[in-house]
This record gives sequence, C-alpha cells and structure tokens, in this order.
Amino acid sequence: MDIRKFFGVQTKKSTSEPATNGKSKENEKKKKTRTNGNAVTKVKSPNNDEDSSMKKKQPSKKKKRNIIDSDSEEEVQLPPKKHKKSSIPSPKDSPSSKQSSHSSKKHQVQYVSETDEEDTFETLKKTQIPQKNGLGANSLSGTTKMQASKPKETKPIAHKMQSPAKFSPTSVLDYFGNSSVQRSDKKLVASSKRKATVGSTDDSTHEDEAIARQLQMEEDEELERQLHEDEDFARTLAMLDESPKHKKVKRNLDDEKTSVSSSTGKSPDKPDKKNEKLSAQKLNLEHSARELNKTTTDSQSTIKEKSPKKPSPVKASAKLAQMKRKEEASIQTASMDGAESTSFKSSSASLKEEKTSCKTTEKISPKKSQSKSPEESASKRQNYQAYRNYLNREGPRALGSKEIPQGADNCLEGLTFVLTGVLESLERDEAKSLVERYGGKVTGNISKKTNYLVQGRDSGASKTEKAESLGTRILDEDGLLNLIRTLPGKKSKYEIVAEAESKKCKQKTPEKNEKTTPVKSSGKKKRTIPLKKESEKAICSSPKVKKSLSFKQEKSDINSDTPTVKDGESLLWVDKYKPTSLKSIIGQQGEQSCAQKLIRWLRNWHQKNSGEKKPTAKFGKFGGKDDGSSFKAALLSGPPGIGKTTTAVLVCEELGYSYVELNASCTRSKNSLKEVIAESLNNTSIKSFSMGKSQTVSSMHVLIMDEVDGMAGNEDRGGIQELIGLIKQTKIPIICMCNDRNHQKMRSLVNYCFDLRFQRPRVEQIKGAMMSIAFKEGLKIPPPALNEIILAANQDIRQVLHNLSMWSARDKVFTYDQAKADASKARKDIKIGPFDVCRKVFITGEETAHMTLVDKSDLFFHDYSLVPLFVQENYVHVKPVAAGGNLKKHLTLLSKAADSICDGDLVDKQIRKNQMWSLLPTQAIYASVLPGELMRGYMSQFPSFPSWLGKFSSTGKHSRIIEELSTHMFLRTHSSKQAVNLEYLSYIRDAIVKPLVHKGTDGVAEAVQVMDEYYLIKEDVDSIMEISNWGAQPDLYSKLDSKVKAAFTRTYNKEVHLTPYSLQAVSKGKRGRAATVDLDEEEFGTNNTQPEDNETEDTVEMDAMIKQKKVAKTSKEEKATVPKGKGKGKKTK
Amino acid sequence: MSLWLDKYRPSSLNKLDYHKEQASQLKNLVQHGDFPHLLVYGPSGAGKKTRIMCLLRELYGAGVEKLRIEHQTITAPSKKKIEISTIASNYHLEVNPSDAGNNDRVVIQELLKTVAQSQQIQTSTQRDFKVVILTEVDRLTKDAQHALRRTMEKYMANCRLILCCNSTSKVIPPIRSRCLAVRVPLPSVEEICTVLIGVCKKEGLSLPAELAKRIAEKSGRNLRKALLMCEACRVQQLPFSADQDIPETDWEVYLRETANAIVSQQSPQRLLEVRGRLYELLTHCIPPEIIMKGLLSELLNNCDGHLKGEVAQMAAYYEHRLQLGSKAVYHLEAFIAKFMAVYKRFMEDGLEAMMF
Repeated sequence: MDIRKFFGVQTKKSTSEPATNGKSKENEKKKKTRTNGNAVTKVKSPNNDEDSSMKKKQPSKKKKRNIIDSDSEEEVQLPPKKHKKSSIPSPKDSPSSKQSSHSSKKHQVQYVSETDEEDTFETLKKTQIPQKNGLGANSLSGTTKMQASKPKETKPIAHKMQSPAKFSPTSVLDYFGNSSVQRSDKKLVASSKRKATVGSTDDSTHEDEAIARQLQMEEDEELERQLHEDEDFARTLAMLDESPKHKKVKRNLDDEKTSVSSSTGKSPDKPDKKNEKLSAQKLNLEHSARELNKTTTDSQSTIKEKSPKKPSPVKASAKLAQMKRKEEASIQTASMDGAESTSFKSSSASLKEEKTSCKTTEKISPKKSQSKSPEESASKRQNYQAYRNYLNREGPRALGSKEIPQGADNCLEGLTFVLTGVLESLERDEAKSLVERYGGKVTGNISKKTNYLVQGRDSGASKTEKAESLGTRILDEDGLLNLIRTLPGKKSKYEIVAEAESKKCKQKTPEKNEKTTPVKSSGKKKRTIPLKKESEKAICSSPKVKKSLSFKQEKSDINSDTPTVKDGESLLWVDKYKPTSLKSIIGQQGEQSCAQKLIRWLRNWHQKNSGEKKPTAKFGKFGGKDDGSSFKAALLSGPPGIGKTTTAVLVCEELGYSYVELNASCTRSKNSLKEVIAESLNNTSIKSFSMGKSQTVSSMHVLIMDEVDGMAGNEDRGGIQELIGLIKQTKIPIICMCNDRNHQKMRSLVNYCFDLRFQRPRVEQIKGAMMSIAFKEGLKIPPPALNEIILAANQDIRQVLHNLSMWSARDKVFTYDQAKADASKARKDIKIGPFDVCRKVFITGEETAHMTLVDKSDLFFHDYSLVPLFVQENYVHVKPVAAGGNLKKHLTLLSKAADSICDGDLVDKQIRKNQMWSLLPTQAIYASVLPGELMRGYMSQFPSFPSWLGKFSSTGKHSRIIEELSTHMFLRTHSSKQAVNLEYLSYIRDAIVKPLVHKGTDGVAEAVQVMDEYYLIKEDVDSIMEISNWGAQPDLYSKLDSKVKAAFTRTYNKEVHLTPYSLQAVSKGKRGRAATVDLDEEEFGTNNTQPEDNETEDTVEMDAMIKQKKVAKTSKEEKATVPKGKGKGKKTK
Repeated sequence: MSLWLDKYRPSSLNKLDYHKEQASQLKNLVQHGDFPHLLVYGPSGAGKKTRIMCLLRELYGAGVEKLRIEHQTITAPSKKKIEISTIASNYHLEVNPSDAGNNDRVVIQELLKTVAQSQQIQTSTQRDFKVVILTEVDRLTKDAQHALRRTMEKYMANCRLILCCNSTSKVIPPIRSRCLAVRVPLPSVEEICTVLIGVCKKEGLSLPAELAKRIAEKSGRNLRKALLMCEACRVQQLPFSADQDIPETDWEVYLRETANAIVSQQSPQRLLEVRGRLYELLTHCIPPEIIMKGLLSELLNNCDGHLKGEVAQMAAYYEHRLQLGSKAVYHLEAFIAKFMAVYKRFMEDGLEAMMF
C-alpha cells in the first residue's frame, strides 16, 4: 500500500470481523484450557475492578493515574501470557505450548490473589504489600514451582529483549508494540519490553516512593531521617531499592488485567469503543470476581499458584521476585533438564555479581574514611606581611608551606564554608578542593547556613561584616586545617542511605524467605540488583531462548557457581538504566518541560487533526500558539546525550501510542520512506484482532524520525522533502529529532514542526540519578567527585554513564581526587565561541593559570580562521599584568605582541597560499599563544568582533568602484586605477563640485561639462563622492543646496551623454534611461520596435554623429558611442 | 573643459617634452618597420603611457586614437566567467590582466591567444602585427607570467606585446629577457617646471618660477601630480603668487594627521585610534606601501639622530613583511606599535638625561 493512501485516505475497517472471531476463539480456548470456569471469571473481574477503580480515581490522585498508565503499558506484556493461557496457536506459541495448561491455571489464581493485593494496596497504601508478597512466596510450594518459574522466566525475557528492541532501528515490529497479538517473536519482544519497563518505572517513581518511605519508617527510623535529610538522593536510592517490590505487586495487578483483556487495560484515555465495551463486560465480571475473592479470600492452592506468577510479572529488578526465583530455581533445577547448561552459567554469574555488589556496598559504608588527602611536604612557616591592594594582591605567600592534615573521611560533611581573602599556604582552588574532599561545601556568599568563614589576607570587608552579623564562625587557614585534623569522621549521608537501603533489603528478604522457604534466606538479598541486570542484559531474539535462559538462571542460583560468563556486563549502563517512565527522565519533570509539552501535543493531536478529511490548508491555522497544536509534527532538538529519543519513546508509550522509529541507520530516501511507512502503518495488530475489537488501522501510531539531521547524502536524497510531504498530509503524529535545529538541512523542516528544544539538565538533576545508579552498581562516589565528572562531560548524561562505567571497572570506590583526575582526562571538548576564546587567550586568573601550552594552542583551534582576527582586534584592549602599570613596558609588550601577530600573518599566508596546513600549530603559537602570554592581564571590555572583516569587504567595494571609474575615464586619463585613485579623484571631484558650491545653479553647466569631458555618468559622481569622503564628515556634494542639486540632475538628464563604454554594467541604477539595458540590445531593439521610426532613426543617427563630432573634436572618436547615440537620441525625442 | 593634464597631453613622439633622446630612439625603432616586445617601466607619473600611445600613433597613424572600451567575458576552465574590460582600437588592444585577480592567467591565455592568433586582414595598408598592451605587469601572478612566456615567442609573427609596469623586480627574468626594456625615468624638477610654465602659458596664465618649483618638489617629480596641483592652485587663487598654498589630496592630509597623532602621544588608546585611521586609509584603497612610506617620512621629521636610522630600518623591516603577509593592517600596526615603544623609551630616556 502506498503511504499516500495511509496518510491521505481513511483506513478501512476490514479487520473487524476477524477480530470478533478472534474473541470468540479466545473465549473458547480459555474455557477449554481452564478447567474451572469460575477461576476464569474471577480473574477477569478483579482486573476489571481495578481498571474501573483506576479510571475513577484518576482525576483524584496522580499516583493512581500513574498506576493506570503503567497498567496499560504493562499490558504489552500480556501477549505472551495470553498465549500461554489460551494456548492460541500464534507464532509465539513457543513459550506457551509446553506450559499452556499449567500456566493458565496459575495465572488465573494469581490474578485473584493479586487483585486482592491491589485492593489492599490502594486502600492501605502499600504498607502491607511486601507481606503479601511474602505470603505469595510462601505459597510457592514445590508442586507449582516448576510452572511458576516458567512464567516468571518469560517476563524477564521480555525485559531482556527490550534493550535490543530499542536499538533495532526502524522496525515495524516496534510499531506493533502495544497491540496484543504480534506476528513475529521479535516484534512481541520489542514491544512488550518497552512497555513493561515503563510500567515498572512508573510504579517505582510514584507509589514506590511513598511505600518506600513507610517501609523505611518501619525498618529503621533513624536511618530514614538521615536519608531524608538529603531528600533527592535518599529518595532515588530508596526508590531504586524498593521499587522492585512494588513493581511486583503492580505487575501482578497488571497481569491480572492483562489476562482479562490485554487491550482494554491499556489506557483509559483511549477512546476506543471496543475497549469501552470490553471494560463494561469486565465490570460485570469484576463484581462477581470480588465476591468470590472475599469468600475464598486466599485459598492456599490459589495462593500457591499465584506466588509463582508474582515473580514473573515483576521485572528482573524486583528483589523479592529474585528471592522467590532463587527458591524456585533451587527446586526447579532438580526437575529441569540439563540441556540448558549454557544459560546456567550466565545466571549464576549474574547472581554472583549481585552478591558482590551487595558486599561492596556493605563494605563501603564502614570504610568511608579511607580517602586520603595528599600530603604536602612542608615546613611550617608563617608569614605575616603587609596589606596589599586587592587588585594586586599576591597569591599565597607560603604556598605549600603547611602540612595539610589528613582528616577523617567526611569530617566536614554538612558544613558550609565561605572562603575569602588570600590564604597563606593554599591557593583558593586547593582550599576549595580540600574542603570538598572532606565532604564540606564551599559557597560564594555568606548566608545563614554558612558554618564557617575562612578568612585570609585581604579579605573582603563585606563578607566579614556579614559573617559577624550572622554569627558565622570565622576561621583562618590554620583553623580550617585544625578543623580537618580534629573533627571526627562521619559516614557520608549517601553512604548511610546506601547502608540503610541494603539493610532494608536484608530485613525484607529474610522475612519473605522465612515465610516462603527458610532455606534460601542468606544469599538472596544481594542478588536483587544482579537479577535485574541479568534480565535486562540478556539479549535474546526469541522468547524461547529467553525462557530457557531464565530457567538456567534459576538453576544457577541454586548452584551458585562462580560466574564464568557475565551476560550482565554485555549491556551498557546507558541501556541498563535507561529511563523506563516519563517520571524518571532526568530534567523533564516540569510542567513546561519538553516532555510534558510533547505529551500535551500528542494527546491533543487527534482532536486538533481529527478532521482527517481536512486538507492541509488547516495547517498553520493555530499558528503561534504555545501548544503547537497546529503542527502535525514535532521537532525535538538539543545536544546529544540528554534523552531526546528516550523522551519521545516514553511519551508514545505513556499515551499508548505504538511507534515506528526510523533513525540514521535506516535508509530514508523518498522511496524507502514510502515503502516502510506505508507498510508498517497499514498493519493491524493481531492482538486487537483476536480480541475482537480490532480496528482497521488504529490511529494510535506515531512515526518517530530520529536523527533527521543525518538525512543526507545519496542514500537519503529527497528524504527531507518526502518527510515534509508526509507531515503535510499525515494522519498520525510525527516526531522528528535532531541535534542542531539551525542547521542548513533543517531549515525547510523546521517550519512544519512544533519546536521543542531540549536543554541540558542541571548538574544536580543528573547527580541525583547518577548517585542512585552508582549505588545500584555498588560504586562509591563522593558527590563532589560526581560533580566534577558531570561537568567534565558537559552535562551529557550518556557520557557520564559511560565514564562511570569505565572507571568503575578499575575500582568500585572513587575518591575525590581520583575522580577529579579522571574527569579532567575525560573532559569533553566543549566548543566555545571565538569571543570566549579571545577572552581566555588574554585573561589572567584561575581560569587560565593552569593551562598548558597545548591547552593554550588548543584555544586557537576552536576556530583557526577567526581566532587570529579576534586576537589582533582585542590585544590592544588588554591591560597586561606584566607591565605593572608602566606605560613604557606596556608599549613594549604591545609591540612584541604585534610582532608576533605579524609572524602569525606570515604563516597564515604560507598556509593559504601553499596549502601548508601542517603549519597551523605554528600559526597557533604566533597568532594566539604568544600575544596571549605577552599581554596576559585584564580585559577592559568584552571582546569586540574583528573589524578587519568589515573593512576588508568595504575595501573590496571601493576597489570595484574605483575600477569602474578608472575604466570610464580611461580614454581621458590613460592612467591606472591606482593613479586615478591617488591623484585624479580629488581633483575631479573639485572640478565638478566646486562650480556648484561657488556659483550655485550657474555652475551646473560647468559641472556637467566636466562630467562629459571625462565620460562620467551621474552614478559615477555619487561614487566619487563616496570614495573621496574621509572620516565621518559629510562630503561637499551632500551639503549642496537641494535646488542646486536638482538643477544639476535636471541639466544632466536633459542632454544626451555619450559614453565610450557600454552602460550595461551600471544600467541597473539608471534613472531616466533605465530602459537602455544594453547597447547592443538597444541597437537591435530599435529596429524591432518601431518600423515607422526608420527615418527618425536615421536622423537620430545623424544627430548622434554630429554631436559626436563636436565632442570628438578634441579627442578621439569612439565607435561604440554611435549605437549609444542612437538609443539615446531616440528616447529624448 | 578637461583638466590641463589631459588637455595638453602630447600625442606624438615629436611633441614629448622630456627624454627626447629616448623618444627619438623609439621613433627610429618604429620607422624600421618592426620592433621587439617592449617592457616599459618607470615610476608613476613619468609618462609611460603617454609615450606608449605616442609610439602607437607613430606606428599606425591617427587611427589608433579611435578607442573603444569593451567588456569581454572569458570562461575559465572551471566554468567561472571572468569579466574584464579592454581598451581597443583597430590596431591594438590594451588590457590590465590583474583586474581579474587570481584568474589573470586565464585572461592571458585566452584573450591574448585569440588576439594573437588572428591575422591582420589588410596587411597591405597596415603593419602585419597587432600590438597588445599589458598594464601593471608587475602585479601579475607568477602563473600568469609563466603563461605569458610561451605566448610571447609563439605568436611573435602576429603580435607585439608592450608590457607596462612600475618596477621590473616583480617581473620574472624570462619575460624580461624576451623584451626590450625601456625605462622612463621621472622628469627632473626643471623639466617639470618648464612643462608647468608651458601649460600655463597656453592657458594664458603666468606661473611664477618659484611656485612651479615648489609644485614640482611637492609632487615628488610626478608630472601628473604636478599638473593637477598646478591646476588646483589656479582654482584656489587665480593670480598665482609665489608663496601660495599648494592644496593636497585628502588622503595625504589624512595620512599626515595620522603620523602627527602617533608622535603626539604614545599609548594603547592612541594605537587604537591609529588603527582606525589605518583602516580608513586602507578602505580607500590607498596601497599599504604608500601608507608606510608616507608615515615614515612624516615620522622621520620628528626624530633626531640615531633614532632616524632605527626607525627607517624598522619601516623597511615591516614593509618587507607586509609584502610577505596578507593582512596589511597587521604590519602597519606592528610598525606603529614598535615605533611608539621605541619613541617613548627614547623620549623618557632623553628626559632623564636632561634632568640629571
């Protein structure tokens, strides 16, 4: 099918019938498979209840809403389950076939139990959830364990698949994501993974927080307090740890829902009629189900069955699930076939990892104080010297003279310092890093929160006064050092938080273990994280493989062999910790954030563009509105590594859209766009098909065009144009992404898109997320070190993660110094503009004090064509420190700098002339480094833009004018351009203007005569005036009386002026004779236009000749003038 | 009413006012019916072009004075179209290839070949060769000059070249060796005086000898300049007086003011101001060499003793680098900065010496 059809024509509802058929089939199958019809109904009803309740509650509480969203998203996972239950012979049958009967039973049972949990969850607000989970785990007795394990495994597989699915470029498969039934295994996996993750994250973010807090309260109040002191980190950490538990619960809920109806639960938002119908049915079912639940609250058998399933819905991250798994695994391993030995290893490895990570975290907390402060050799010497002017104040007098004490770790934690004045033995940088190393915070200004003011020489009076008024304690440098020496070390709050987390985990896990199976308790706590890893990391194309893997993992858990193959390591952190819900995207939480805007835009898209019949004329009607509702496409732009793609994907998922992603790895030429998109958008999901509510083509699709600025070259030729064409008539929202929206290639596209610009998140925002990841990975990083790392990466989240991942391979414990060193090595090259470069070249101070020669010459390479110009323009504005206010020295330095700049110019000429680009470093030294070094000092003003460029172009312009003038006058002057410019011009100007000035109107004739003599036309006079004008003073001609000017112009125009040159070059500006485009043309043109004028033409010619003779008496005669005369004579007539 | 300069321009070799011996030699050359390629060089204002036109007139008669200006479009191999204006009569073609900038080689190759390859039709009445005048040869790129070499030999039968330039130093030796070099030196002060007085006489004016001499000296023996000055004097004050003011061109005044600004104060701020003035001069297409020269002569007036030598050497140094470099203002500014530093030191040292 052609894209056009899709975009332009409405889709047909061809699939409706099959869908109904599918429904009926499903029902039949369910009945068949499920021996207990009651169970089936029960299962459905709770789900429905939940859905309905969720819907009702949505407006009231955000949290609930989120849950709903998550549910809908989680439904994606359903497909596999359904298959299992119903044993539908879908392509995915692989997992389902074997276990179908068992699994179906389990699911049913589980759902019931889960629903109960959910209800309690909502009502009790989550406190009891863990316990319930524990019960569920307990119920996992040997009989059902085998079965239970299998479903669990399936879920992890799905998770694992997610990551690969994201990577897969344009896959139509992805597009199918939300639909229940999927054609191929891959598709299923991809779609399910993402959604599942989303759901989990949502849970984790909102509800989990609350739950987590309560749990913490119960467990360890003190710890909690500390945690909450630093809320950001604490929360994130807590959430991360505990989220898995909640996730389990939620997922169970989700599972239930999904089991009832995969598509219905997805999103209450969706306006699908079919869904509504289904929901209605569900409601009925729900009531019955509830009753059943109450009566048979939790029959042990059901519970047992449930328990196995609970873990399965839980994503790999959930600790509880993992625990359970282990237990199960142990049991299972005995029963399992040995064929899956390979997978075994991986799982075991992951387990080990988990354990190790847990250990490390535990160990770390006691260790805290190990970071060493570098000792500086020193003899103590104290200098007390005279006071100096602030501007000229010297650096530390006795640099490095004092021994820097090695304090206890984090001894300054929670203290805020302000540094003022010059310390005796420490540079300010050093002092700052010293304080930060011990966990203290250095701020610029004194506030109430400031604990200490470290005062040095020449300190600022205002700071001191304020400190006194606020009662801040004032220290000198020795005081600071003493403080470090004497203060006891503390555990950093982050570590405390981390410890608390780990403790909680321990506590929780044992409880559960006890309930479930006493055997497992010991090793399970540690495994939580690794399990997640495992699940996420494993990249398996087919669900079968995954399942097998999962089985193996469980086995391995039991065996707890040493890890040989680490599957978990194969996944980058970036993917491992990819945000799975909108809430967890860094820096996109605000109401006005790009993500929110995008959501609003996407939500309103179908309303605004509902009239699909409407022509594109509607486009732009709402232009100028903030919500971009008039646009059919959105363009996300921003620097790399800040989550544009993630945001787009998650927004789609949040709103229940399925999407097709095309990125730079796909060919996106005109034709391929047509094919791929048309094909994918016409697909109908089999899921809805089978559910009987399938539409023809659902409208819930989004086309994501990633990296549109990469559309170029031969492969993608016409891609942008085609894309614009698509946007104009699309019936689905299109989201485009690019890095630089100002790029040339984007120009045309930008006009058709809702512009959303992503900014880099703030350091704190990134820091919070990174701390939690670090904890999960068992890294210990002091927050200030993380600051350095983030800044070094220029707030590129992806880069930060990569760096952390790399450095963590060496050592799990980061010290501040080490991290700072690493960060400086990894410092991302930040492109800075020439203005900043220029400033950096000259300015003195901390910023540039530690720059090496290479650093300085690198400045030049930020823009090697502009920087020399900037340096040359601005070196005069600098007040060099070296001159010390001495004018003579200053002038000498200026002269030296100018010499160096000249050398740079010579090198530049060689580079340009002979293409000797290898000389660029030489030019860097001459044109930038040397002048910078010589003149280093203070800039009195903002660097100004090089005037050379403007002057150069005006020189060129004047040169052209002079060339034209000299050509015009050549027959008289016989002299070159330069001679005309230097010698003739001013005299000719005088000859023309002076008569007008002195004689007024009477001088007009004289002036015109001069002009004729030199074959100058009126425009030439203007250009002469322009060129011979010096300085800002107005020229003589412009000062003339306007009467005289008018007379001059009139007189000149009255006559025909013969020129020996063709006027074509200047014909543009001609006033009266604008028609005389070209001499030759006119010559021929006259013949064409008026045959009558033949006679007159002759006469004209005669006239011209006569005139010419008059003129030519004194001078030479020009042939070219003859035709000219013709044309003009005619006109005058 | 054209300027005197153009009004009284001699049109035949016989009427030339000075270097008459050379004129007669040229005449002999022409009368022998044939002559080699010529390389006419000499400073600006010496009368090179006038001499060439006289030569052509001698060669072809008055027809050579019927000039036309044509714009020719030449397509470079790179499909770039180059427009260039030529001045031509029936017998000769005058072109300034350096107008085409870096593409002057194409102009030489294409334009010259087309002219040189076409035979004269009426060989009976006219000479059997055409003349091509190339002006400002010293500004040709090396490429263009090399392109010229072979052409000069190959089309000798149909075409004579007259190369016109200020200095032969930038003309490559192979070309110099293919040409008969004709140097047109500047007229002496006396010669200029006689010309000036003669012109004034034709105008019915009497020019005092002293004034004539002053004009001649002020013009730097540039006859064109001298005549223009003389006429400006007339406009300024009709009955000439011996001590009247000789008006200067604007850029000369501006340049002198710039030099005075440098001498009057040495400071970074002043350097900035001077930079602005230098830009002003450069944007008016005043060649940097002339700026440098003008500055130096003005600055030297304010220096004494050994400082003069030092400054002159500095100027030479920077002018050399100016030729090597591409951005003239850098070097001019460096010169001024250097001068300021040296001058300041000199002045302060001198002051201290005076004090003690």
